[in-house]
Amino acid sequence: MLTRRIQGQKGVQGIIIVNSEGIPVKTTLDNSSTVQYAGLIHQLVMKARSTVRDIDPQNDLTFLRVRSKKNEIMIAPDKDYFLIVIQNPSD
Amino acid sequence: MSSSEDKNKKRTLVLRPSSRAGNVSVSGRYGNQSSRTGSRKSLSLGGGSKVLDKSHVHIPRPAVRVFDEDNNVVTPQPLYQADPGTAQAKGSRFFMNEISGGSDQTTATGSFTMPFSKPVFGSSRISSQSTIESVNEEIEDTFSKRDQPISIPDVKLKKSTVKEPVTEEMLKEIIDVFLTETDTISLLDIPSAFVSVDADEADAVIERNNQYAEVCRNRMGNDKYVNRSVQTLNGAAKHKHVQSDSLVMVDAAVTVTTWDMFDTLCNLEQEQTIRSPQPEKTDFPEAVLDSSRAAERSMSVGSTVSSVSASSSVKDVESSGNTANTESELQLIMQSERFQHSLLVMERSILSNIFQPQLAAYRQLLVLEVMFSDPDSPVEQREEDTGSSPSPSLRSLWVFSCKLSRGRSISSMAWNKKNLDLLAVGYGQFNSGDQEPGLVCCWSIKNPTWPEHFIHCDSAVTCLDFSANSPGQLAVGMHDGSITIYNLQSPDKSRVISSHECPKKHLGPVCQLRWIQQELSLTGEDRAEALFSVGADGRICKWFVFGSVLNCTDLMMLKKVTTMKRPGGNKTDKTEENVLSVLTPGLCFDFHPAEPSIYLAGAWEGLIHKCSCSNTQEFLETYHKHFCPVNYITWSPLSPDVFLSCSSDWTIQLWKQDQLNPVLGFTSTRGAVYDVRWSPKWATVFGAVNEQQLEIWDLKTRILDPVIVQPAAPGVTMTSLLFVQQTDCVVVGDSDGQVTIYQLKNLSVGEGSQVNVLEDLLRSAASR
Repeated sequence: MLTRRIQGQKGVQGIIIVNSEGIPVKTTLDNSSTVQYAGLIHQLVMKARSTVRDIDPQNDLTFLRVRSKKNEIMIAPDKDYFLIVIQNPSD
Repeated sequence: MSSSEDKNKKRTLVLRPSSRAGNVSVSGRYGNQSSRTGSRKSLSLGGGSKVLDKSHVHIPRPAVRVFDEDNNVVTPQPLYQADPGTAQAKGSRFFMNEISGGSDQTTATGSFTMPFSKPVFGSSRISSQSTIESVNEEIEDTFSKRDQPISIPDVKLKKSTVKEPVTEEMLKEIIDVFLTETDTISLLDIPSAFVSVDADEADAVIERNNQYAEVCRNRMGNDKYVNRSVQTLNGAAKHKHVQSDSLVMVDAAVTVTTWDMFDTLCNLEQEQTIRSPQPEKTDFPEAVLDSSRAAERSMSVGSTVSSVSASSSVKDVESSGNTANTESELQLIMQSERFQHSLLVMERSILSNIFQPQLAAYRQLLVLEVMFSDPDSPVEQREEDTGSSPSPSLRSLWVFSCKLSRGRSISSMAWNKKNLDLLAVGYGQFNSGDQEPGLVCCWSIKNPTWPEHFIHCDSAVTCLDFSANSPGQLAVGMHDGSITIYNLQSPDKSRVISSHECPKKHLGPVCQLRWIQQELSLTGEDRAEALFSVGADGRICKWFVFGSVLNCTDLMMLKKVTTMKRPGGNKTDKTEENVLSVLTPGLCFDFHPAEPSIYLAGAWEGLIHKCSCSNTQEFLETYHKHFCPVNYITWSPLSPDVFLSCSSDWTIQLWKQDQLNPVLGFTSTRGAVYDVRWSPKWATVFGAVNEQQLEIWDLKTRILDPVIVQPAAPGVTMTSLLFVQQTDCVVVGDSDGQVTIYQLKNLSVGEGSQVNVLEDLLRSAASR
């Protein structure tokens, strides 16, 4: 329900919520894509967070946007979950 | 070879049992007499016990001798000559005793012992002692016995004890116990090699000693004595393989990062501060747990980096696992505050992607014009751009609208004083018909599709304003006359204060609300702010907050002035006339930007009164021009003492404070002008909203007509207008609940704030 507004926005291809262990708990995409996204993005976020915090341990990663040719992946990482939204802005 | 055969022949051995006392000539080689040993098992001789039973000695045993052809005894003798001085000596003594019975060799004992005490066996020595040989034979036997590591002592030692069941009768029996002394067991007896000079054998011993000394002297060069070397045989080494359990090796690796160490440190400190009242014991496992968890986290980084494919396959298995857990987890996550915040940020990001050109235009970033146009008609756009000074126009950027607000008429809008992206919009019935419950939506520029906050109000909202000192406070005036102050920063937006119970509240709809900063407070930083309102009951009130209740004082009563023209200087007449006057609804007011105690109030009958805060009875001035309700008054923010007023009589009037007649008047169409605002950037530009259209006037360009006209959508009335503070945008609200953002384009007003231009204009207009 809370994610319905986001789902209804223009160009949003999918929403995935991943828990702290990397298991997707809610998704609007098909299973294989979800699992793939969850696994890969988990690693990316870990790396990004490690980078940010290595530079300054009091800093932390709050948002990550990966823009590619075809779409944009937006990730809101947190201690207990990841919120991943894939959008195609030109749709 | 024949010689060897002869030798062999010579060596045919004949075994003949013989008596003990038989003479034996031994050629000096001892061999094994293993054949004999079978009968000797009863003899207990071995390395262990040195006990010899007398009885065993007397067992006659058949001696086996081997004779060769020459009747030489070649019985194999044992190779091993044990160290004497033990039971051998004893055993020999026995034999000696026996033998001595038959012979008189007392000296033999002495001489016999010698070969044992001095383990130098010359073969000739033995052969010379024929009498001893019999003894030697015995000794051989004993030696042979010794060759065998017999298990006899073991056998002797191990006695199987048969246990009898002990009955009570047996316990009660009187049992006689006899204690006897056992025979003396001699374990070691090394006879002394010294003999006293007075002893009987002394002479013999001395003689023998002398003989021996002579022998030693003659040893050198004597053929009798041969030097022989002996080599100890080293036992053959045997390699033995040993195998142990394979060692289990485990690779452990930890990636330590700066933040990992920081986290552990923070957690340790946190643990200590939290658990300081609790006993120390609990601290350590917690800290260890946390650090291990942190270590796990860092380790898991390393492990997941290793193989992507493996992890994804694992995830496949995991995802198909318990769904019950994930459901509850999902609920937990979704209800957490941080998740809401993440959603908010995510939504804004998505929308910024979607509305990127519009938002960029709003923020006055460089935007490619192509983005706005259709892909089909790029040519037109380019032509327009290259043309010389295109005409000013408005471009619609976006519309704030959601299903909540659709259909409700907008009554007022206000920008937040601190967060310039926040716009509060009050929805209420425009025409005073059925009043449905009002709604206030706070929209953010960053999210045009859903308001940041929305508040449902009891009655229709007529006006609202944000406070400057506490930017989270929004004062809302409603149709039923009550004023409520909401705190937007509190999570549930509970109303802070309401004037609902105030006895002096407005009796009619509150027409306008304002937070005004009046005088400098003691600190000099925060200016004391007060809430002013004007209502349809004709009162202008100043509100105070007492605890949680609003209370007000009347600032001014808008009395109806019956005569349009004031009688010259006849104040008493005026007051007499006004004694029984009715209060007329006040529709708007505005405080002077520079002198906070002077304000203008617009009345229902079209009069504009200039009042002072200090004088609550009388107006300072009254401006007559309008003959319909004055909808809005606004001082110019840039040019001093100039103000605009708009009214339902289709006109907009521009006044100067000291002139009772308007300097300029503007009319464009037939329609009540609902709102007029000055542009914050240019002194000569203002905007007006009337029933049918939005008009932007630029006094520098022309006075008679608006520069830009934007017609309203059919069936919709534009009701309110706001300029955006820092950009060239205009916000228009209409009766359908839509708030549209327009961008002013190509409004070439020129550099600077144009105050001088306005001044000149006004002067020239006034002089006409």
